[in-house]
Parts: sequence; C-alpha cells; structure tokens
Amino acid sequence: MDALHLRDAKRMPHLAKAVARILVIDDDACVSTAIQAILARHQYDTTLSSRAHAGMHALQASQFDVVMVDLFMPGMNGLDTITRIRSGSAVPIIAMSGFRLRNSLDPEQDFLGMAMLRGATTSLRKPFSPPQLVAAIDRSLGLMSSTEKTMQ
Amino acid sequence: MTRTENQADYPNYLKCVERGGQRAEQPETDRPSPERTQAANEVGSAIAHQLNGPLTALRLYIGEIRQNRDRFCETAEAQDMQQMVEAAFQETERLCSMMRLITDTFEEPLYPETAAALGRDVISWWSRSGSAESGGSANGGGPAGAASSPSIHSRLTPREREVLSHVSQGCSNRQGAIRMQIGPRTFESHRARVMRKLGAKNAADLVRMALGERPVTP
Repeated sequence: MDALHLRDAKRMPHLAKAVARILVIDDDACVSTAIQAILARHQYDTTLSSRAHAGMHALQASQFDVVMVDLFMPGMNGLDTITRIRSGSAVPIIAMSGFRLRNSLDPEQDFLGMAMLRGATTSLRKPFSPPQLVAAIDRSLGLMSSTEKTMQ
Repeated sequence: MTRTENQADYPNYLKCVERGGQRAEQPETDRPSPERTQAANEVGSAIAHQLNGPLTALRLYIGEIRQNRDRFCETAEAQDMQQMVEAAFQETERLCSMMRLITDTFEEPLYPETAAALGRDVISWWSRSGSAESGGSANGGGPAGAASSPSIHSRLTPREREVLSHVSQGCSNRQGAIRMQIGPRTFESHRARVMRKLGAKNAADLVRMALGERPVTP
C-alpha cells in the first residue's frame, strides 16, 4: 500500500478505498480518545493502545501506516518503545511529549531530539492543535513515500 | 509552586527528598534549600505533565469545533454560540501557551521516567485532598469500609474532627477556614489529612463517613 494513494484518499474521502491506519500508543486515554476523534473526521482509522507492550503486540498483529508514541508511559518508556519498533519495522513514528526536557549532561539534546535520533520520523509537542496533528500525520505519510522512492 | 509553605502537608517524598543519599530535613528558612527547590521543580513539572494530557485533548476538541462552527451555527441565536466557541478557543490557546512557558521553564532533566510516576502520585494526592471525583484508586480500598462514627472520631485529632464537622455541614475550604479562623490552605491540608486517614476518595465520601455511613464501593 503506497502513501500517495493514501494521501489521495485523504483529499477525497468520499472516494477513499484505502484508509490510512494509525496506531496511537499513549497511556493517557483522554489524549488518545481526542486524537481518535479528530483523525476520524479526517478519514483516518485509529487504533488505541494504552501500554507500550500492548502497542507492540498490535503492531506485530496488524499493519499500520503511522505509529504515534507518547514518550512518558509506565512500563516501557517511549524512547525504548521507539527503539523496539525501529528494530523491526520502517513504519513512520510520531513522538509525542509535553516537555522538551533538556538533558543535563548534554544541553543541546532535548527529549524529542533523542526520539528523532532513535528513529522517530517527526515529533509533536503537547498540547498540539488539530492542524498540527493532521500535518504531522501527512508529513509522516509523505516521508514514507519519499523513502520508498529512494529505495526503489 | 515556588515554595512549599507547610511541609507537613506534603507527600512524604517532599519531606525527605533524597538526592545522593542526603536527606533534606531542614528548619524553615527564608531561602529554600536546593533540595526543596529541586523538589518543587519536580513536583511542578510533574503537575504540568499531568495537566498536559487533558489540555491536549481540550485543544484538539475545541480546535475541531471551531473549524466546523459554521456548520452548526447558522441561526441568529447561534451567533452567541459562535462567539462562545471563539472565546473558548482563545482561552484554550492561552492556556496552551502558558503550559508551553511552564514546560519550557522547568529544567527537569534528572529523572524523566520518575517524573511521570511522581505526577500521578501528586495528582492522586491532590484529588484526595480536594473535591475531585476521580483518581480515587490511590487509596487501594483500605479498612475504611468498616468505619463507623465512633472509630472515625478516635482516629482524628480534635482539630481534624472540627474540620470534618465543617466539611460535613457543606462548608467549602474557604468557609471552613473562616469559621475556624485559620488560613484556607491550612484548612485544606487538615481536610486532606482527614481524607487520607479515613480513606475517603472524595468530598462526598467524606461526608458519608462523617455521617457514619460506609463509603460507596464501586
């Protein structure tokens, strides 16, 4: 399934056959539910996971076009989750965090930056607006198509 | 959030913040110790972390409502609604930029993973001390289920009993504080302690217990 097709589907929802599938891994149900509500209005199919481990299982069991990961979660932390996803999949990852969280040892490096280093495709600082959310998804889908192009 | 005014009322980890094995148990001075500044910083960022979720959800909902407001706002009456939607949106945006400032301000690099857990802890402590209905699971049930009036009273100090009686009469923190001629924050912290002792999940629970009833178990 190619991203170009997905973007067309988004632009013309009434013609859409293939709907982009988004996996949201966030322990805060109020956030993931809101994301799901907004993305549903933009014709995305969203699956929610409140734990990193459950999210990993969902990812193994089914195909997703974008994965959104909250960096602060109980159990497995978001950065580890990103590393784990990246070790087995090229799926675009959006890292979400409320803090920039500068590192004391390396002030240049903030938390979202660390997420990018570990393989996140893009990042979203909470709280984000619907246009920012949709733009991040589009960006991720677009990036996926360009990497696919370079791979061909 | 800059200073912890009444140490006794704060959760344990604030009373003795351990940093490299050092305990911070110092008498009140004008200048907060580095440990307490650190603790305030961590708690502040933990609270900000907890608020960020609902705020994110709010921003998403309001943003979407505003974007589609023309669709459901066509009648004359709906003009007021449009204005309210716009105002709600503006307030939300204002909150979000405040939150951004706050989360930028906290230099909070020490233990990001613990910060999240700390945040949950703070919030459950918070909701136990206030009238919030949620977050009650922090009590883990406890023996409070069997509480009846006499045993309640034996567990409380006279001061706490007084607070409980004001709360059960429907006093707000402010009203109760005025009646007892103490500061509202002091009243609030007494009340928090009473709730903790009795294992009350919220204000309604507390009143029920004060009246000698069992708390509602879900």
